[in-house]
Parts: sequence; structure tokens; C-alpha cells
Amino acid sequence: MTTDLAIEAENLARSYRTRTGWLRPQRKTIEAVRGVHLAVGRGELFGLLGPNGAGKTTTIKMLNTLLLPTSGTARILGYDVARDALEVRRRIGYVFGGDRGLYERLSALDNLRYFAELYGVEPREQLPRIQELLETVGLSGREKERVEGYSRGMRQKLHIARGLLHRPQVLFLDEPSIGVDPAAARELRRVVADLVAGGTTVLLTTHYMAEADELCDRIAVIASGTLRAEGTPAELKDRVRKLDVLEVEVHDAVGPEHLQRLRDTAGIEQATVETSGTVDVVTVHARPSHGTHAAVLAALADLRTGKVTTREPTLEDAYLSIINGTTTGSA
Amino acid sequence: MTTVSHASRASRALRLAFHGGGLSYRALFNWTTPPMFIGTLLVGPLFQIFFFVHVGRSLHVADDRFYLLGNAVLATSMPCVYGAIMAVANERRFGTLGAVLLSPRSRGLIWGGRVLPYAVNGLAVMTFMMLVGALVLGLTLPPSTLLGLAQVFVVAAMSCALFGLALGALAVRIRDVYVISNAAFTLLILFSGANLPPESMPGWMNAIGSFLPLHHAIEALRALFAGASFGEVWSALVLEVAVALGYAALAYGLLRFFEWRSRANAALDVM
Ligand SMILES: Nc1ncnc2c1ncn2[C@@H]1O[C@H](COP(=O)(O)OP(=O)(O)O)[C@@H](O)[C@H]1O
Ligand SMILES: [Mg+2]
Repeated sequence: MTTDLAIEAENLARSYRTRTGWLRPQRKTIEAVRGVHLAVGRGELFGLLGPNGAGKTTTIKMLNTLLLPTSGTARILGYDVARDALEVRRRIGYVFGGDRGLYERLSALDNLRYFAELYGVEPREQLPRIQELLETVGLSGREKERVEGYSRGMRQKLHIARGLLHRPQVLFLDEPSIGVDPAAARELRRVVADLVAGGTTVLLTTHYMAEADELCDRIAVIASGTLRAEGTPAELKDRVRKLDVLEVEVHDAVGPEHLQRLRDTAGIEQATVETSGTVDVVTVHARPSHGTHAAVLAALADLRTGKVTTREPTLEDAYLSIINGTTTGSA
Repeated sequence: MTTVSHASRASRALRLAFHGGGLSYRALFNWTTPPMFIGTLLVGPLFQIFFFVHVGRSLHVADDRFYLLGNAVLATSMPCVYGAIMAVANERRFGTLGAVLLSPRSRGLIWGGRVLPYAVNGLAVMTFMMLVGALVLGLTLPPSTLLGLAQVFVVAAMSCALFGLALGALAVRIRDVYVISNAAFTLLILFSGANLPPESMPGWMNAIGSFLPLHHAIEALRALFAGASFGEVWSALVLEVAVALGYAALAYGLLRFFEWRSRANAALDVM
């Protein structure tokens, strides 16, 4: 089978049925992913960016064969994820974030030896491959220690080494840097960049904008199970380039009525608030106009306001405005 | 296919079962620490032998040898039932099931290989019980019984471990595994015939026992020590092998079924 695409998805959807309670069970259907289209080329580093519960993990689990789609289809290197699961599994690696998913009582080396066996690495290749990967992820010298004593960052490195044992052509990385310290996260980005330079296709999910911005060739933003926008980081930023971003420090608690008043103001597209330390910071996306500054302060007139700054829009601003539905459609 | 590639495929399969199985034992068995191993697998069952011997002597039900043979075989259920359940159920505890199910390799070899170390462990436990028990109780092990003894032990250990694997498969879905393993353990004490002479058990108890592991193995072992021919011993052992194969098929079927259901219903906690 030949295709230029490493990952294709058409109308991919997945719902979960949950049941709570024994005597009078309550049944609920959650539409986790609702009709996602993806086309990722070979060797591309594609980012799936979205808030918690957006459907990122569910999408990845359908692509890596752990979950069957409820409707729609997906292919990895031309192989259907539902019908040719075995062929897909031989060609993909899966790395998930979090503390779990490793045999705590075994050393890193033995974890890798077991999964090398499970993932069909040729017996004589196993040890050299494991040594090479321990070197790559920076665990050499610690491989004989039991995983139960590993830090969060070391576990993540081990997860990555495991995902790469069988030299997968397509790698799925589900929130790899969740809870990892900044230095380890930087190292992790280096490993991912090296992999892509070596020709591996990577699909990475994250809710960190900076990570997506730095690493990804292309990003799709997902929220509530649907793709809201897709493009290069620069293209996504362009959507908000025409806007000014204003940040106002407020020394009182900002309520929903203030945000609503701001959103109702002419020329303002987006207003959010975030608490940092003792101050609330209100972020406003507005069409460039001389009156904006005064209009924003007027809307917050009953609060004690501090410093007001204007800055260039970042990818995070683009992301927020996409998630909140002010700019939609494809780039 | 050339013979070379057949041979290399066979050696890779054996490697997955044995090497992989060995690693999984260290990864998933809770009782590999010396206190747990010695206390739970060796000392506990040894006291069980002495307890039943004492009961037997006081109530004049059966002689020492009856209880030694029955309980030595029954002792294999500690590593085999609890162990094989842990070999599957602990995947849930570590959150590793997803990573295992992503393997493209044979489920029969992956799960079947996991049973082997527990069977070996069961063999060691039975041998220990037999030697120490005979020594303490002053019973002799005639050399003529040793070959038959080894055969009975191997069959009993495999049968009990496959029974454990079938229960472990259930434990993939059922959260409170130890309810299952404790119930299974009690069933074996009551119905295996280790502590009640089969001729004094009601018919329904024998009927249940004959579908459980160890029942026929214990029968074979007693026949062996009563001086029966190899043919008679093996007629009981064949039934034990049949029970073992039945549980192997059940375990395989359940594990495949739950794997398939997990893809369709997101029923398993596969990360
Ligand atoms: N096994 C499950 N059973 C029921 N609901 C689930 C299950 N897994 C995820 N969900 C729900 O599906 C939605 C999407 O979840 P997920 O794909 O994990 O999102 P993300 O990875 O983007 O945080 C969420 O509402 C989540 O609660
Ligand atoms: Mg997730």
C-alpha cells in the first residue's frame, strides 16, 4: 500500500456510554469526538491542541487501535484502524503522559526488555536498541533502578523509550509534557524534534501553546470533540494579528458581569480573566481603534485598576479566541 | 517458508513465552519478597498440613499420608491461583494494559507465557511440602514413586495455574479480584478431595470437584502411593489434563472477548 499520508481520518467520531447507579441506572451518552477530519503527511509533526476533555485522547486511541470509532474511518499509512489493526500496531508507537503505565517493581531496563519482546523487536537487536534509546532519552546509568523510585520526568523518558523500541514510523504522543519540569520538557522537545528530523511522523497532543508553537509544523485546535481551526502556528496567529491585545491589572475581584459588559462593548471581540497572585488580569482582544483603552477602563470603572499594557497577539491569544468561538473556519 | 524461518519463528515464540513470562512474573507477582514468599507460600501451607494431620489423628478420619499427599498438592494453589490472577489483574493496578494490548504478537503466547513461572513456583512449593512434610511426619518416599510424583506435580501445577488465569481474565473486568481468588481457594479446600476422602463426600461434591483443578491430580497421587500401576495413575491424570485444557480454553476465550469488548465499549481501563 502506498500513500503520501501517514494519518488520515474522515468524519471520525466516538461516543461513550456510561452507566451510574445500580438500582436505577442512569444511562448517558457522551459524544467525545464528533466528526474529525485529519490529513497528516509523512514526516510531519502535527499538533492537536485543545483544553481538557476536548477529545484529544479519544482521537489518539482511535488512531492507535485501542478504541473502535463509533462512526467514520481512519487509516495509518494506508491501513484501516478498525480492520487492519495488526498492521497498524506494527507501525505505530504510543506514548501517554502521566505517572502510570509502567511496571513499578521492574527496573527501566526490564520494562524495556519486556516491551521489546511484546513489540516484536528481533532478539539479537533488543539489547543494543534498548541501550541506544536509554542514551537518546537520557536515562543511561539509571536503567538498573526500579521504576517506583523514578521522578515524573524520568518516567516520561521511559514512556518515550518504550514507544520507540520497535522503530515506529508513526508516533502518537499524548500530552507528553504534562507535569514535567521545564528542563525535562525542553529535553523532551529536543527528542521529538530529532525524531521528526529522522523521518518519523509525530502526532502530538498538548494543551500547552508554547509547546505546540515551538514544535509543530501544523496545528489543529480541537474543542468539544470538533476541530475548530487548522493551520501552521503562523497562520493561526494571523487570525488575531489584526487585533490588539490589552491586559489590565485589577486589584478587586472581576465578576462575570464585568466580562459581559466588556464583550458588549463595540470593537471588543474577546474578554477573559485570569488570577495571578493577588491581582486579576483581564485580557481583551479588540479591533484597533483609538477609543478602546478608554472603553475598557470605563467597563471596569467600579474596580481598582492598575497597569494597562498593549502587546502583540500570541498563539495563546489565537487559541483562546478559537476555543471561545470568535474566529472559526479553516485557515 | 524455509525450515530456517520456521525454526526462527518457533524460537521467537518460545522466547516470548519464557523470557517474557519470566519478566512478567517479576513485574506482576506481589509475593516475590522473601517474607511474603516464605510466609505465604511455604510456611502457611506447611502448617495447614500439620493442622489437618492433627485433625485426622484426633477424629480418626484418615491417616497422616492421606493429608500430606492432599495438602502438598493443594499448596500449589497459593502461587498458581493467586499468582495467575495477579498476572492479569495487576495490569489494572499499574495502568499497563493498554501498552500490552498494543502488542501485535500472539495473545496465546503472551498470556500463556505468564502462567509458566507460577507453575514452576507451584512445583517448587509442592516439592518443599512433600519433602519437609514427609520428614516431619516420619513418612518415607519410596524411589519407585518419584517419577510418578513428578508427573502428577507438573500436571497439577499447570492445571491450577490455568484455572488461575481464567479467574484472572475475569479480574480484568471485576474490580475486587481478591473476592474471586478467596472464593476459588475455599472451593479448592472443600472440593478437591485434599481433606475429605472422596468416598465420604456426597456425590454432588465429587461432581463439582471433578471440574475443579487438583481433584484428579490428588486422586492420581493417592493411587500412586497405594501401589497402583502407571496405567491407573494416568487414567486419573488424563482427566486432570482435560480439566487444565478446559480452563486454558476458557482463559483464552475470556481474554480475547474482553480485549474485543474493550475496543468496542471502552470497557477496560487501558489508559
Ligand atoms: N472511558 C470513558 N468513559 C466515559 N467517558 C469518557 C471516557 N474517556 C473519556 N471520556 C469523556 O470524553 C470526553 C473527551 O475525553 P478525552 O478524549 O480524554 O479528552 P482530552 O484528552 O482532550 O482531555 C470527556 O468528556 C471525557 O470525560
Ligand atoms: Mg487526554
